Amino acid sequence: MGGARAQRVPRAQDGRRGASVKVALLVSQGCPACLEAEAVWRQVAEERHFAFAVIDVAQPEGRALASRLGLVGVPALLVDGALQGIGVQNLSTAREWAEQAGSRAQGQAAPLAPHFSPDNRFFVLAAMAYLMLAGLGLALNGTLLTHGPARPVALHLMTVGFMIFLIYGLGAHMLPRFTGNPMRQGVWPWLQMGFAHAGLAGYVGGFLLQAHRLAAAGGVLIWLSLLVFTLRVLPVLWARRPPPDPACRGRFGP
Amino acid sequence: MHKRNRLFLSFALGYGLLGGALAITWLLDPTLIPGDVPRAHGHIMLLGFLLMMIYGIALHVLPRFSGFPLYSERMADGQFYLANIGLPVMVAGWLTWNHVLVLVGGALSYGAMVLFGLNMVLTVRARGPKA
Repeated sequence: MGGARAQRVPRAQDGRRGASVKVALLVSQGCPACLEAEAVWRQVAEERHFAFAVIDVAQPEGRALASRLGLVGVPALLVDGALQGIGVQNLSTAREWAEQAGSRAQGQAAPLAPHFSPDNRFFVLAAMAYLMLAGLGLALNGTLLTHGPARPVALHLMTVGFMIFLIYGLGAHMLPRFTGNPMRQGVWPWLQMGFAHAGLAGYVGGFLLQAHRLAAAGGVLIWLSLLVFTLRVLPVLWARRPPPDPACRGRFGP
Repeated sequence: MHKRNRLFLSFALGYGLLGGALAITWLLDPTLIPGDVPRAHGHIMLLGFLLMMIYGIALHVLPRFSGFPLYSERMADGQFYLANIGLPVMVAGWLTWNHVLVLVGGALSYGAMVLFGLNMVLTVRARGPKA
C-alpha cells in the first residue's frame, strides 16, 4: 500500500480521550488514493470498533473542516477533530494509529450526511403518501393493478407518485454531493413539485372521471415537472470543475 | 463522478422526457403514433428512466459503500452500451409490431442487467481487506 508516501502530521494537543474515538477521513472526487484510504480505515474501524465517517471536501461540512485545518491534500485523517495524517496508510500503520488514539468498544461506521432541504423533505414525504395511496388497491381489491379503468390510476400513483417523487427528493439531495456542483434552488424545486402534484391529481382525476382531456393535461404537467428536474440536474452532472485533485496524496497521486 | 455514470443519469432523464412525451401524444390522439404505444411508454419509463437512474447511482455509490473499487469498469461500459442499444431496438419493435426487434432488444437489455448484477455482486460481496 502507499504507507511510504503517507505523511504523518503532528497531532494536536486536544487532550480529549472519551469513551469513544471519532475518526473521520476527508476525501474528494477524482482521488483514487482516497478510495484506498477509505478501505483501510473501514477495515480498522470494524476491527477496533470506533466511529468512522467519510467526508467529501466538496461538501459544506468538508469544506469547513478543510478550511479550519488548512488542509493541502487528501485523503486526510482526523481523530476527534484533529488532523492525524495525510495520505494512504497501510493496515499496520492504521492499526497502530488507532491503538494510539485509544479506540474503544463502542461505535460503528456512520456517515455524516447533512439533512434534507425542505423541498427534498417534502418530495420524500409526498412519495410515501402516494405509496400508501397506491397500495390501497391491495386492501380493496386484493391486487395492486386491476383490469378496470382504475388500472392506470394505481399504476401512476405508484410510478409517478412514489417512484418519481422519491427520485426527485433523493436525486436532488445526493447528486450535488456526488459531483460537488450546486443544484438550482429558489423557486425551481417548488415549481417542479407544483407541476408534479397538480399533474398527478389531473391525471388520476381524468381517468376516474373518464375525462381524457383532463388526464392529458395532467400528463403534460407531470412531464413539465420532469423537464424542470432535468434542467436542474444536468448542470449538476456536467458543470465544469477544476482539474481533479492536484492535492490527492497517495500512491496514485500526481 | 465517472463520466459513464453521469451519462447513465443524463440518458435516464432523456428517456423520461421521451417516454412522457410519447404517452401524452398517445393520450391526445391514439392514432398519431403507430404500434403498441402504451407498452413502449412503459418500457421506456421503466428500463430507460428508472433503471438507468438506478444504474448511474448504484455504479457510483455501491463501490463506496462496500469499501472496494468497482470490480470491472469494462463490464460497466459494456452494460452502458447494451442498455442503450437494447432499449431503442426494443421500443422500435413495439412501435412497428416487429417481434424480432423486440426479442433482440430485450436480449440486449437483459445482457446489460446481467453485467450490472454480476459487477455489483463481485464488488459488494463480503471479502477481506485489499492486499
